Amino acid sequence: MEIAKNITNNRGVNISSFFLSLVIVIPLFALLLSVFKIDLDNFYYLWDNLLIDYSLNTIYLVLLTCFFSLIFGIFPAWFISTSKFKGRNLYDIILYLPLAIPTYIMAFTYSDILSYTGPIQSFARKHIPEISNILNQDYLQIEVLAIIMGLALYPYIYTACRISFSLVGSNYIDLSRNLGMSQMKTFFKIILPISRVAIFSGLFLVIMEVLNEYGAVKYFGVNTFTSGIFRSWYSMQDVDTASLLAVSLFVIVVFFFFLERYINSNYQFNYSANTNQESNFSLSHSRRLVVHLVCLIPIIFGFLTPILFIIDNVINEFARINFSKLIDLIVNTLSISLVSAIIIVLIAVLFQFFRKVSKSRIVMICSDMISLTYALPGAVVGLSLIILVTSFPNIINSNIFIGSFFLLIYAYSIRHMAVGISPLKSSFEKHPNSYDDTGINLGLTPFRLFKKIHLPINRSAILIAFLLCFIDIMKELPITLILRPFNFDTLAVQTYQFAIEEMIPKSAVYSLTIVMIGSILLILLKKIVNKQINVS
Amino acid sequence: MKKYLLITLTLILFSCSQNENSNEINIYSQRHYNVDELQYANFEKKTGIKVNVVKANADELIQRMKNEAENSPADLFITVDVGKLWQASEMGLLQKFEDRNITKNISPELLDKNGYWIPVTYRSRIIVYSKERVNKDELSTYEDLANKKWKGRLLVRSSSNSYNQALMSSIVANLGSDLTTQWSDAVVSNFARDPKGSDRDQVKAIAAGQGDIAIVNSYYIGLLLSSEKEEELNAGKSIGVFFPNQGNNERGAHVNVSGIAIAKNSPNRDNAIELIKYLTSDEAQKTYVGNTYEYSVNPNIMPDEIVQAWGKFKKDPLDLNMLGIKREEAIRIFDKTGWK
Repeated sequence: MEIAKNITNNRGVNISSFFLSLVIVIPLFALLLSVFKIDLDNFYYLWDNLLIDYSLNTIYLVLLTCFFSLIFGIFPAWFISTSKFKGRNLYDIILYLPLAIPTYIMAFTYSDILSYTGPIQSFARKHIPEISNILNQDYLQIEVLAIIMGLALYPYIYTACRISFSLVGSNYIDLSRNLGMSQMKTFFKIILPISRVAIFSGLFLVIMEVLNEYGAVKYFGVNTFTSGIFRSWYSMQDVDTASLLAVSLFVIVVFFFFLERYINSNYQFNYSANTNQESNFSLSHSRRLVVHLVCLIPIIFGFLTPILFIIDNVINEFARINFSKLIDLIVNTLSISLVSAIIIVLIAVLFQFFRKVSKSRIVMICSDMISLTYALPGAVVGLSLIILVTSFPNIINSNIFIGSFFLLIYAYSIRHMAVGISPLKSSFEKHPNSYDDTGINLGLTPFRLFKKIHLPINRSAILIAFLLCFIDIMKELPITLILRPFNFDTLAVQTYQFAIEEMIPKSAVYSLTIVMIGSILLILLKKIVNKQINVS
Repeated sequence: MKKYLLITLTLILFSCSQNENSNEINIYSQRHYNVDELQYANFEKKTGIKVNVVKANADELIQRMKNEAENSPADLFITVDVGKLWQASEMGLLQKFEDRNITKNISPELLDKNGYWIPVTYRSRIIVYSKERVNKDELSTYEDLANKKWKGRLLVRSSSNSYNQALMSSIVANLGSDLTTQWSDAVVSNFARDPKGSDRDQVKAIAAGQGDIAIVNSYYIGLLLSSEKEEELNAGKSIGVFFPNQGNNERGAHVNVSGIAIAKNSPNRDNAIELIKYLTSDEAQKTYVGNTYEYSVNPNIMPDEIVQAWGKFKKDPLDLNMLGIKREEAIRIFDKTGWK
């Protein structure tokens, strides 16, 4: 926190946030370096033959996935936040857990479950042959992929909504009840518009994940914009065109990011933290059934089904599990995720603090900018860092960096900064500026202001950010593959290597470990979130 | 907070310092089968040379080697597609290496005419067919897959897969660009569905009745037939294996090698050579064959029993470097003809 100590005026904050954000977005400049060397023939070729198709696919997949993740996320969040029913607390926990399952594992698992030799169709052929023909379909379709990704990603929406719906507070709900509005009407007319910003922030993460996904989309034969990047890099061996595409993708995302920001800026609602939460709608029997159904569908399909399938595979493979290797991989995975998550949270906290103490535009722009690197596919982040550290052979000895943990952690920080920033930002923004003013009037230095006020009041958000980053990095794949040091495997890498070699059962024990560690952390996360939103 | 920062910084510094050990070898490998770890462990036991591996996509590894240039720690580059070896040699990332003691045990047609890489195993890209709906006599050559009789019956994975790219390259090399384009056009119109999934998924799709024939790598069939899952085994048994282009005037089935090459700036060259020697030895070759259902490059080492049951086949004698040289043309043909 040395930097914070020296802050006495805005210029110090401006300069340090500028440089810090520069460090984070620097890979983009590396990409731009190679964009300038581009041979446009390849780009025109891609444009003529593939890009339009790829872009349309991307838009379709993004829209569909958003649709499903909204459905799976918003409605359970609404019922759980506002209604009392049996099993509510349990649902509330399990609804987070699909976040522990990497998207590609979800995709591979479901394609196995649904396949001709999978359990459902095999069972049908044996016992209910009449329906086996109906079940025998080609499930590797973009729509199925969208549902699967919706199942894997809806927790982003659920989390955002759950916090927002609870914080919105009983005042609004009581008011709407007094006006004679039904629960549904309250939801659509009042809660949804008020929660817009939260829903968009969740949706933003979902969209980034879809844009970044490579393994699952490739397997399903769906060519997205990211496939185009890899098409030019891998198949056409043209790194420059790949860079151009990555930069274009980035520009598009930035455009939508600011568009959303602009539109939503007119919709700033101020809700003070909610203290009286017990405004629960009572439920009739039939309504209760609907509520259970709405909560159970994402739980069963997003978590229980894949996890049971994975466990079944683990049991079948149990005799062949190499436990010493498993422990090695767990240690590797945990330590790299721990260190990276701490660093990300440190930087993210610093930026939010800068935002608070400085109102300057530079700081605002810088701190927004560093979230956007989330839009770069992991492999592109890896590539750009390799380009970067090898661009100046006379100044930097790239050998020190490439294949070092430093570069790996650096890459994680770039890629996952947005995950850390998102919860911190909403927490920091929630607290009124008068805290800072009072603190400064009382003669606190910026560092003490940070230590005495911001650190304690944002403690939960800091923990949430840490846990989310930890889980995300634990699942991370492409960066690890490209940048990891010799002999350094993680659980995700091992899972993926078996999965792409079509040995799903062998990968099961590693994916189960990821899911289990992730689940434990998510339950912890859940506890913190609930404490924060005053839910018993 | 300060404490955390200190701990973190120490961890970073600690992690950056890599210990130097001269009796080691650094491999950039695209192979990620269990058997590889077994081979390296055996090699370590035998020689005392420590094997360090980074496994990733071939293109990522090539990019890494290119950018690392003379600082690259890589001693060996291993791929499952000879096209990538050719590419690496073209980019000046490899050094020539010849040793009669090693090559004398390897089928000459699998060797690199330019002397950059050594084949370790090979596999064929074959046709499999539904025993129920296809008579073996209906099948003949890759060229015949363009025949209208296969309309709506042919299954294959995406053109972004390097095995497909290698097959297309071999066809470009054999037939020329124009004929290949016509061929690909007709083949695409015969697709039962859009290309997707893995090789094994194509076989399952045959079992499911979504198509009748598929283009797949030979060893995947071995994996299916050795599966412990009854349903997968049934799927494997429901299809027949066919090696195309076996007629008297025909060139033979397309093969691709998994190969190994010494990096241009290999810091541990002697150790690298030791590993090449080991991987091409009878002992290691037998280990490959028994675990992955690939073919040994040593003609005296028989494949696994499951693979032997498919019988012997004639290999396309094409210079394997053509699988790299013709790659760009092949990709453009995929794109032009709409092979997704």
